[in-house]
Amino acid sequence: MRLYEKTASELSEMLNNKECSAEELCKDVLDRINETENKVGAYVSVSYESALENAEKIDTARQRGEKLHPLAGIPIGIKDNISTKGIRTTCSSKMLENYVPPFNATVINKINNAGMTILGKMNMDEFAMGSSTETSYMHLTRNPHNTDCVPGGSSGGSAAAVAAGEAIVTLGSDTGGSIRQPAALCGVVGLKPTYGSVSRYGLIAFASSLDQIGPMGKSVRDVAMLQSVICGHDKYDATSKVMEYPDYASNLKENAKGLKIGIPKEYFGSGIDDEVKDSVMKAIKELELNGAEIKEITLPSTEYAINTYYIIASAEASSNLARFDGVKYGYRAENYSGLTDMYEKTRSEGFGDEVKRRIMLGTFVLSSGYFDAYYKKAKRIQNRISSEFSSAFEECDIIATPTVPASAFKIGVNINDPVKMYYNDVCTVTANIAGLPAISLPCGMDSKNMPMGLQLIGNKFAEQTLLNSAYTYEKICGGFDALSKAL
Amino acid sequence: MPLIKIFFPVRIYLICGRMEIIMNIDIKHIAKLSRLKIEDEKLDKFEKNMKSIVDMVDKLPEINDSLSLLDPTEPMTLRSDIAVTNKFKREDLLKNAPEVQAGCLVVPKTVE
Repeated sequence: MRLYEKTASELSEMLNNKECSAEELCKDVLDRINETENKVGAYVSVSYESALENAEKIDTARQRGEKLHPLAGIPIGIKDNISTKGIRTTCSSKMLENYVPPFNATVINKINNAGMTILGKMNMDEFAMGSSTETSYMHLTRNPHNTDCVPGGSSGGSAAAVAAGEAIVTLGSDTGGSIRQPAALCGVVGLKPTYGSVSRYGLIAFASSLDQIGPMGKSVRDVAMLQSVICGHDKYDATSKVMEYPDYASNLKENAKGLKIGIPKEYFGSGIDDEVKDSVMKAIKELELNGAEIKEITLPSTEYAINTYYIIASAEASSNLARFDGVKYGYRAENYSGLTDMYEKTRSEGFGDEVKRRIMLGTFVLSSGYFDAYYKKAKRIQNRISSEFSSAFEECDIIATPTVPASAFKIGVNINDPVKMYYNDVCTVTANIAGLPAISLPCGMDSKNMPMGLQLIGNKFAEQTLLNSAYTYEKICGGFDALSKAL
Repeated sequence: MPLIKIFFPVRIYLICGRMEIIMNIDIKHIAKLSRLKIEDEKLDKFEKNMKSIVDMVDKLPEINDSLSLLDPTEPMTLRSDIAVTNKFKREDLLKNAPEVQAGCLVVPKTVE
C-alpha cells in the first residue's frame, strides 16, 4: 500500500513514529499527481518546490525533537478561491488568471502554522458558480470513479483529488452545496461548517452571507482534524463567532445510542433517484439498529429553498463581483474607448457565461421595482426556513437526508440547461440558507457503480454532535473505501 | 364578502405583475446595469436562459413574517472605528495592477 492511499490520521501516526518522513510522503503524493493528473485534472497549479521545502523543514524540526502539530507534514490541496500569498489564485477565471495574492487567507496562515504541506491549488467552477466544475476557465476535472462523469462542483478539484489520492486532504468552500455535492459524487467526506465558525478572510467572495470554507478527506477523523485547524474566531471577519471551539478529533466518539435522527419527508420526494433514497434509508436503518431513535419531521418551506437560494446568492454575487473592473488587479481588456467601455469589455471578456448569468440575475432581483418581489421575499423565506430548522432541532439531534438527488452525471449533459444544473443543489442549499453545519458521507455505490451521498445536518455550532454521528456511521460501515474503487 | 373584495384585485395585480416580469426580460438593459456586454449572437441564448431562471425563482409565496435582513441570533462583532496602518507594501499591491505608471494605477481619462 502506498502512502497516498492512507488517511491523514494514519499518516500522522506514521510520521510521529518515524515510520515515514514528510518528504517521502510529499514525494509519493506528488508522484501520484504525475501519474493520474492527466486523467483527473484536479489541479490548477501544483507547487512542487515549496511543497518539498515544507516537508524537509518539518522533517528537520522532528529530528530536532520539536513539538509538532498532528497534521504537520500532511499534504493538502487548497481550492483556488482561497488566497495564498505568492501562489497564483485564479478562482478558475480568466479574470484572475494571473492574480497572485499579496496576503494569505486566515485559514492558510492556520494551515502553515500547523506545518501542513500545501501541494497546490484545486480546480473549481468559475468563482464557485456551478455544480460540475465545467464552468472552470482552466480545464475540465473528471470524476475518478468514471472519467466520463463530472466530479460535481464547485469544489470539484478538491473532491476529485482526495478520491484519486492526489491529496490527502483538501479545503473547499460551500455556498449552496459546493463541498458536500462533489464529496458525494466522488465518494469522499466533506464538511460544510456552521456559518461563522471558519474565517472567510481571504476567501474570494461569492455570496458573503452563505460562503463557508470547509474540510474534505477520506475519513470523518481526517475532516475533524482539519476542521480543528481552520476553525476559530478571527478579527478580520466580522461574522466570525467568538466561542470556545472543541478539539473535534480528540472528542470523536460513537453516539448512536439515544441519538435522535430527524427524517424530513420533503427531502425524499419525486425528484430524488430511487437508488439514492434506498441507500440513504438503509444508512438510517443501520443507525437505528445501533440504538438511534428515528423521528419523522417536517420542514415545509423546503420546496422554496432553491428559489430563495438563487435569489440571495446571485444578489450578493452581483455586488461582490462588481470589484472586478480592470483597474486595480485582474484582467483588463486590451482595446477600449473610455472608462465605461473598459469596464464593460473587461468584465465581458474576463467572466464566463455562468458568472454573467448570475451577475445579471442578481442585478435583476435587486433592481428598482423588483427588489420587494424577489430579494425581500427571499429573505422572509430564509427566516422561515431557519425557524423551521430551529423547531426541528427541538425534537432531534441531527437531520438525515440525501446529499444529491442522483450520482454523478456525464460531462456535458447539463451544462446548457442552467435550471437543471441548479436542481443539483436542492438538498444542500438549506444548510447554507439557515447557516447550519452539514456533512456528506459516502453511503454506497449505485447500479452504475458511482458513489452516492448521505447528508447529516446539525444544529448551529453543534459540529461535535454532527461529526460524532458521522463517525458512528463510518464505524458501522467499517470505514469508507472510496479510494479502492477509484481509478 | 368584504374580504373577497379586498383580495381579488390584489391577486389579479400580482398575477399580471408576474406575467409582465416574465415577458419583459430585457437582457441588454440588465447587462448594461451589470456593466456587461452580451454579444449579439449570444443574446437569444441568454434571454432564454434568464427567462427560465427567473421563472424558477419567481415561484415564491407571499408571506407576512417579520423581516430581518441580518441573522438576529448571531450579531456581528464590529471592529473599533480606528485607522489601521497599512500592512502591505505599495509595490506588492501594484504587482497585480493591469497598468502602472510612477507608482499609480493608470485608468482612461474620466474628465475632459
